[in-house]
Amino acid sequence: MTTPAGSAPLPHRSVANIRSPTGAGHHQSGPSTPLRSISSLPSNFGSPSSLRADEEIIIIEFGTRKLQVGFSGDSVPRGCVWFGPDQQRRAGDFRAWQTDYRYDWKAAAAGGSWGKDHELWQYDVRGADLGLVGDKIERALREAFTKYLLIDSRPRRLVWVVPSTLPIPLLSAALDSVFSRFMPPTVSLLSSQLTLTVGAGVRSALVVDLGWSETIVTSVCEYREVASKRSIRGGRMLVEQTHNLLAKHLPENQTGSGDDGRERVITFEECSDITTRMVWCKPRQTSAPAQQSSDDALATVQEQDESEPGEPITPREPGLVTIPVKTCRSPTTLELPFDALAEPCENAFFDSQYSQSSFDDHELPLHLLVYQSLLHLPVDVRALCMSRIIFTGGCANVLGLRGRIFDEVSHLAQERGWDPVQGKAVDQLRTNPKLKGREAGQAGNGSPDNAPQAHEGEEKDGVWHDAANTIPEVDTVEEQLKRGTDRRPRVQGEMRAIESLGAWSGASLVTHLKAPAIATIDRELWLQHGASGASKASEVDYKTQRQSLGAGGLIRGSAAGSAWTLGVWGTS
Amino acid sequence: MAALTPYTYIQCPCSDFSTLGRPSDPNPPTGTEAEVDDDGDDDRTFDPRAPRANYSLYPLEYLLYCEDCHQIRCPRCIAEEIVTYYCPNCLFEVPSSNLKSEGNRCTRSCFQCPVCIGPLAVTSVETKPDPSLLAAPDNAAAPHAGPYALTCSYCAWSSAEVGIQFEKQNGIHAQLAKLRNGGATRLTAKERKERRKDPSYRSQHTTEGPGAPHETEDLDLETQFANLKAFHQGQLVDPNSADTGLTALGDLGFSSPTSLSRIMSIYTGGSLQDKKAKSRVGAMREALDANEGFQVARLDESAAIEALRSEGHDGTASAAQLADQPPNLGEGHLHGRGRFTPGLRPIPYLLRTKRSKRCPVCRHIISKPEAKVQATRFRIRLVAGSYIPSIAIRPLALGSGSGSGGGGTSASGPAVPGALLEPLRPAHYLLTFKNPIFETIKVTLGAPAKTPGRLASKVTVLCPDFEIDANTDVWDEALNQGGAGGGGGAGGAGGGGGGERERRRRRGEDGAAGGGGGGGGSQSNINHQNQLEVGKIWERGRNWVSIVVEVVPASLRLEPGDAPLTEDEDILEIPMFVRVEWEGEAGGDEVGSVATRDREAREKRELAYWCVLGLGRIRP
Repeated sequence: MTTPAGSAPLPHRSVANIRSPTGAGHHQSGPSTPLRSISSLPSNFGSPSSLRADEEIIIIEFGTRKLQVGFSGDSVPRGCVWFGPDQQRRAGDFRAWQTDYRYDWKAAAAGGSWGKDHELWQYDVRGADLGLVGDKIERALREAFTKYLLIDSRPRRLVWVVPSTLPIPLLSAALDSVFSRFMPPTVSLLSSQLTLTVGAGVRSALVVDLGWSETIVTSVCEYREVASKRSIRGGRMLVEQTHNLLAKHLPENQTGSGDDGRERVITFEECSDITTRMVWCKPRQTSAPAQQSSDDALATVQEQDESEPGEPITPREPGLVTIPVKTCRSPTTLELPFDALAEPCENAFFDSQYSQSSFDDHELPLHLLVYQSLLHLPVDVRALCMSRIIFTGGCANVLGLRGRIFDEVSHLAQERGWDPVQGKAVDQLRTNPKLKGREAGQAGNGSPDNAPQAHEGEEKDGVWHDAANTIPEVDTVEEQLKRGTDRRPRVQGEMRAIESLGAWSGASLVTHLKAPAIATIDRELWLQHGASGASKASEVDYKTQRQSLGAGGLIRGSAAGSAWTLGVWGTS
Repeated sequence: MAALTPYTYIQCPCSDFSTLGRPSDPNPPTGTEAEVDDDGDDDRTFDPRAPRANYSLYPLEYLLYCEDCHQIRCPRCIAEEIVTYYCPNCLFEVPSSNLKSEGNRCTRSCFQCPVCIGPLAVTSVETKPDPSLLAAPDNAAAPHAGPYALTCSYCAWSSAEVGIQFEKQNGIHAQLAKLRNGGATRLTAKERKERRKDPSYRSQHTTEGPGAPHETEDLDLETQFANLKAFHQGQLVDPNSADTGLTALGDLGFSSPTSLSRIMSIYTGGSLQDKKAKSRVGAMREALDANEGFQVARLDESAAIEALRSEGHDGTASAAQLADQPPNLGEGHLHGRGRFTPGLRPIPYLLRTKRSKRCPVCRHIISKPEAKVQATRFRIRLVAGSYIPSIAIRPLALGSGSGSGGGGTSASGPAVPGALLEPLRPAHYLLTFKNPIFETIKVTLGAPAKTPGRLASKVTVLCPDFEIDANTDVWDEALNQGGAGGGGGAGGAGGGGGGERERRRRRGEDGAAGGGGGGGGSQSNINHQNQLEVGKIWERGRNWVSIVVEVVPASLRLEPGDAPLTEDEDILEIPMFVRVEWEGEAGGDEVGSVATRDREAREKRELAYWCVLGLGRIRP
């Protein structure tokens, strides 16, 4: 078996761990799936003050560029606050409304920070001003509470939806700011990938978050994240590519053609606006010569859904699109061929002109990223995840992008199967009938080259053969699983994309159903210990469940009283 | 460069940068909240250029004051309570119960234009509607009134453009909720359920598309959420677990046996609960069809791409317009298909609130508006301006102040307010502190010799320590009211020489320093130049004191490798630490205060805060 690096060893074993609530060393009721452990203690028994505001739990979803707020039980957030430079002005500074005012964006963008003031945080926390992050959150939350939620400043319980990859310093800064300014009795943290899964109504999913700063592909199996892969190809890159495209076509740059580097010609706002309005993604080209390789369809993969791309849009007459550009040196109207507007997307997300080996791990094209994530999953988890792909994030709004990624991944899977090893040697090995025959006869460790790895991934060695022939022992947990589920078959093994309500709505659902959160942080405890208080408590669970979401799910009701954890965020 | 009126910003002590935003060390000794150190021993200078400073600086008008705590209260350190909710368009009060059920927007007929956010009016559509847009019963029901549409009087947008027309003139919000763009009606959850039961519909639907109809059915967001919720609730209340009562965690009545067992489970440390959890193992499955809220994504967006190709840039909505759109519950996930202008919907007005404000420490009300929506009065409003000294800034024309370099041009330059400051040439500014309270206050100023930041201007406060007389006799000032009266810098500037003379006369009465009685502007300038000495008050009035600050603006010339100037970096801003001391009695006699006459003894009070004085732009 190929085991994904750094995750639970075997999928069915980890599932079993979830299922059996009698955790050996736990005084709590063990790691339990959030939704099912409904009968466990609600987190509101800890302090009487939280009972008061019980009916109004506020759910906040943090994104890099926006903040969404609303009440638990609502189907969509009530308000959304975007971060922007106007928000960073002093109170009473109304110059943005003056008619003759022009924001000097060139000066603001000088230090390579074009668009940075539209972001709440950068995940690179080296040299980050964490206090500023806290201030930004506070101001945005205040605006959201006042403008959209219309609530007073009574302390209320908060539920945060944050990506599970959020660095601890940023989380800590955010918690500091909110605990000291808004006085919530508790803040519960939910992972956005998890709530997306809940919001789609499934228990396992492959969440493809086409976010702003990066694209994160997370595999969720039975409500817990088992693996995650990232690529820096995200919205920021898309906007920058759009900028380059526009800059190329601007008349003022036609003549010079020398300055192509860091010089910005239009504002971030305008570029971002054009990106959201006009950029689209081409469907997959059916003939991709670079990716031709032997079509050795593996038996393990059931490719029912061929999903023939078939080119619904044939590049017809080069329709021109006019785009007004106002913030460059001389405002003008650009005329671009419509197909050119698909270039940024192509460059930012696929880069198909380069060979696959030229990419670093952090900049994999998206289809490869999704494929690799699926590939590195254990077989049964993969079977579940590949038929539950959820696209989310801001770049999912790029027309055609979801379909393109899906088609590319389907094609890759069809072409290569789920074989982690590829290349010429493997192809030769596969096509070599002699080797094949020998392999079937004997255990694979006799092969000279990298063959052992190759068939370790897909086939069975001798030991496993025997195991397959024996009657499997009765697994009580599996029995219970079978008893519990109804007889309707689960869709698995085929590529399928599903729709989620979104992370916020999923969190609303989770909270509305009174499921205890992954990590619930008490205000008093946070103010006493900060983030360091959490790591102490989670030491216990840390050994057994590295990636556990449910570890310490029932924090406040536990006997120790002060044992709490930051969940996935605390384990780094 | 635009002219700059000198300004003052005050940093509320609540956001003292030394207490907030501790560095991210993993084990901080204490929390952030309770530390209120007195700043006395804090040597660090507040930097108004730091990005965080923008979040803690407020103009004096934004600040309130708690009389009991004797503290400035800024919008960040105040507890708010809501007096009324109302719609800013129709000014109708909305009960708070409606808010929970119907959301944060006006549910009457108040709408904003989705294109230009102007108010929309309900108008009758003259022409007979296209029969394809409206269903047949509409025409039958409203034979003469005709359909209505929302139109914008500013940009002439009409909801008919996006295919939304209404049968009735009132209750637009409810009608709109049932309409999709393009005029198709939207089914409510109940109707959907009924329709599904209807055999005729079902047969029709199955003939339409192959495969299971329910699985492919498109749900809108609201329905999907409702279905998912129902599904999950159904899964949680599984029949094989006996303790279904436990799921109802919301009710805290202690009468039922289930809640008793729940309480028991608290004290038994979860062993009981483990057993129950075991019995519930595997109760949940995933949602499988549309009835349960499951949706397969539609990835084929070629139609939208075609639309984008034909519509072009003009056919799409801008980011600002999309951000203003309320979430449309009547549609499924749009994934970018909502970008076209025909997809825009009228925006119901967001409700607003009137809020009363309390001191978070002592819970005293410090601001309370009139409850009536139309009234703009406040019942209680303790603005900080009537408790802490205001600072007015005015340039001072002093001839060649430094003596050495001052040419004629620079001498006349800074005297005009808003004029650019010459780099590396001393300029003088008059700071007028006005005491609003009825006690004599002692003011101590502290300013760094060089302003922080990369452009360091030199600052010298000539008289950092002085007393201001009490704000006692109002008539005295009323009789002596001159052009400036120590008020705003801009006003004083206009009055130029007249105000100057007036003030000098008053100072002569005070007998602080014998100046010339009624000389011309130039003559008195010379006088002043003689008097410009350290430690002396420039001018003093009944409840105000003017002092002089000398600044040597930095040069804006940058090294080649430096980053260019950011916005406002060319403004000379001085951080100044103001410390006010006074002996107060129980403050019952102050303006607009709630009478608290319990303490009689005079006690010494002090207030200290940072403020930022923006003097002017430096000439590049």
